[in-house]
Amino acid sequence: MLITLFIIVTIGFMVIRLMPGNTMYADDPDMSAAQIEVLRAKYHLDKPVPVQYVIFLRGLLLEGDWGTSISLYVGVPVWDVLKAKIPVSMYNNIVSLMISLPLGILSGVIAAIRKNTIVDYATSFAVVIFISVPSFIFATLLQYFAAFKWRLFPIIYDASATGAGKLHSLLLPILALSFSPIARVTRYLRAELAETINSDFMLLARTKGLTETQATLRHGIRNSLVPLANVVIPMFTHIMSGSLVIERIFSIPGMGGLMVSSINAPDYPLTLAILIFYSLVSLVTVLVVDLAYGVIDPRIRIGGRNIE
Amino acid sequence: MRVDDLSVSFRAYAGLVKAVRGVSFHLDKGETLAIVGESGSGKSVTMKAILGILPKNGRIDSGSIIYDGQDLAKFTEQEFYQIRGKKISLVFQDPLSALNPIMIVGKQITEALTLSLGMSKERAKVRALELMNAVGIPDCETRFHQYPFQFSGGMRQRVVIAIALASDPEILICDEPTTALDVTIQARILELIKEIKAQRGLSIIFITHDLGVVANMADRIAVMYAGKIVEMGTSDDIFYRPVHPYTWALLSSIPDLDTKEALVSIPGTTPDMIHLPPGDAFSPRNKYAVALDFEREPPMFRVSDTHCAATWLLHPNAPKVEMPELLANRIRRNAEERIADER
Ligand SMILES: Nc1ncnc2c1ncn2[C@@H]1O[C@H](COP(=O)(O)OP(=O)(O)O)[C@@H](O)[C@H]1O
Ligand SMILES: [Mg+2]
Repeated sequence: MLITLFIIVTIGFMVIRLMPGNTMYADDPDMSAAQIEVLRAKYHLDKPVPVQYVIFLRGLLLEGDWGTSISLYVGVPVWDVLKAKIPVSMYNNIVSLMISLPLGILSGVIAAIRKNTIVDYATSFAVVIFISVPSFIFATLLQYFAAFKWRLFPIIYDASATGAGKLHSLLLPILALSFSPIARVTRYLRAELAETINSDFMLLARTKGLTETQATLRHGIRNSLVPLANVVIPMFTHIMSGSLVIERIFSIPGMGGLMVSSINAPDYPLTLAILIFYSLVSLVTVLVVDLAYGVIDPRIRIGGRNIE
Repeated sequence: MRVDDLSVSFRAYAGLVKAVRGVSFHLDKGETLAIVGESGSGKSVTMKAILGILPKNGRIDSGSIIYDGQDLAKFTEQEFYQIRGKKISLVFQDPLSALNPIMIVGKQITEALTLSLGMSKERAKVRALELMNAVGIPDCETRFHQYPFQFSGGMRQRVVIAIALASDPEILICDEPTTALDVTIQARILELIKEIKAQRGLSIIFITHDLGVVANMADRIAVMYAGKIVEMGTSDDIFYRPVHPYTWALLSSIPDLDTKEALVSIPGTTPDMIHLPPGDAFSPRNKYAVALDFEREPPMFRVSDTHCAATWLLHPNAPKVEMPELLANRIRRNAEERIADER
């Protein structure tokens, strides 16, 4: 995992630094040539890219120094900038994941149990819509109807709110983010459970006297949850990337807005830090899912210690 | 239990699959009835109909399954809860797929007791350990907490049998219980089934595609082909006095260790259950078929009080046909051996 991270950091650094437009401050009419020279020297922009890379890596590893913002928040350490934005974005993303999983599981179970009935067809139809329409469309629609027309929610994020008020003002963006993951989980669980229901151990559960509901609840669902762990990883990265756009729509001061403006500025230490941060979160997700496998599937937990 | 003229069909893309076509048999208390036939002959479907666990696209078209004065063919799902496990239990063919892979086996046994009989957890565990002991699982206390993948095939099948016995059923249906197992394990599982039958006074329906397996086990045997019973009689009737060409073919395909004769396989394949040939379904593979076999299905002819078969060869006007000589010789040899053994 550390190697993966190292590769990501290296490639990220090179790509961002080699992008055209890296002649920082070069065309600023308000500054004299001498001033520009001083600034470029201060941020090591006058050195070759490989040297800059070594300086960056040494700072990051030895002092936990992510560099300094060079144009958006001039002089502020990158980490201080991120520290203010990360909680806002992660709040959205994690709440979205937390509501997507149970809702998706629930509707997937219902669709599977009522397979080939009107309930199932309606669910499948909704699933197709929610997966294929991107989240910013829902965001715009929600913003227009729920916030602007009916005045149920604030149109844009209210930074001063806390607790329940905060959730209330973030509900629309979270909702917009969650449609697609809910649909994904539904589709996946419906397919898995429909297959599990036809398995022999479900038949055995019924022949030993369990009702259909007991058999489905005790044997069907848990077994179909095992492979679900697989879709959680792409789902969470999907939520995070959707969030980048949604945050702009609702003027949420999170990572999304920061990333776009840091690329436009350009403020490459900031861009790089955001990239590394997202890679880190994805890798942690993979780790958490791997560990979760061990909890739900005994074959992985005890695997190998086979007796007899 | 008495099954009368039972027919089951499935709706499938290609058309209506007539999997079971008018099957009748009865099972007396304490007896073992074997149902034998090639794969796809409708054995499992018949059993699923008895337990009310047909797949959603399957339907009982006609017939009755009388058990204890009630017709199971007309039972609702609700009414079946009083039958499944408690009166009639099923042992599956493949013990690996029949057990929930992520639940400890102990819980899979106690579940039947706590959920459907309302037994307390502690009592259920005591009973489960007794059952595991009874089906020959060593070291029960440890095994109770293990998962199916930690068991060998034979041990898994013992677990499945323990589950089937949990609620003290009267009838045990064994659907090819040894097919998925090694030959040496097979013999031990058969031994176990005989043993528990004797101890608990069970009635058993034993399903297999291999006549050899039931030789020492069954009181009566029904031979099934393409959804119909084609010959039924006592074990002796079938092994020593078979009259149906299909039974002849099945008997000839049992390997004989003494003579090293070449195995006789049955030519052709089982018929398409959607577009069945007119007349006797076995006639295209039957070298003894008479013209009438291709036109009309033969009715059941009575051979003796215990023995009947559906073949036109038994019609008074049919040509006299003897069973293949190879088989006749073998039967004579077996009969002589048996008499010798008895002395
Ligand atoms: N769910 C189903 N849908 C359609 N056809 C089925 C279904 N289940 C079984 N069948 C058909 O019923 C016939 C009998 O199957 P089965 O009873 O399982 O045979 P066996 O004698 O080997 O146990 C087969 O031809 C099979 O294709
Ligand atoms: Mg079968």
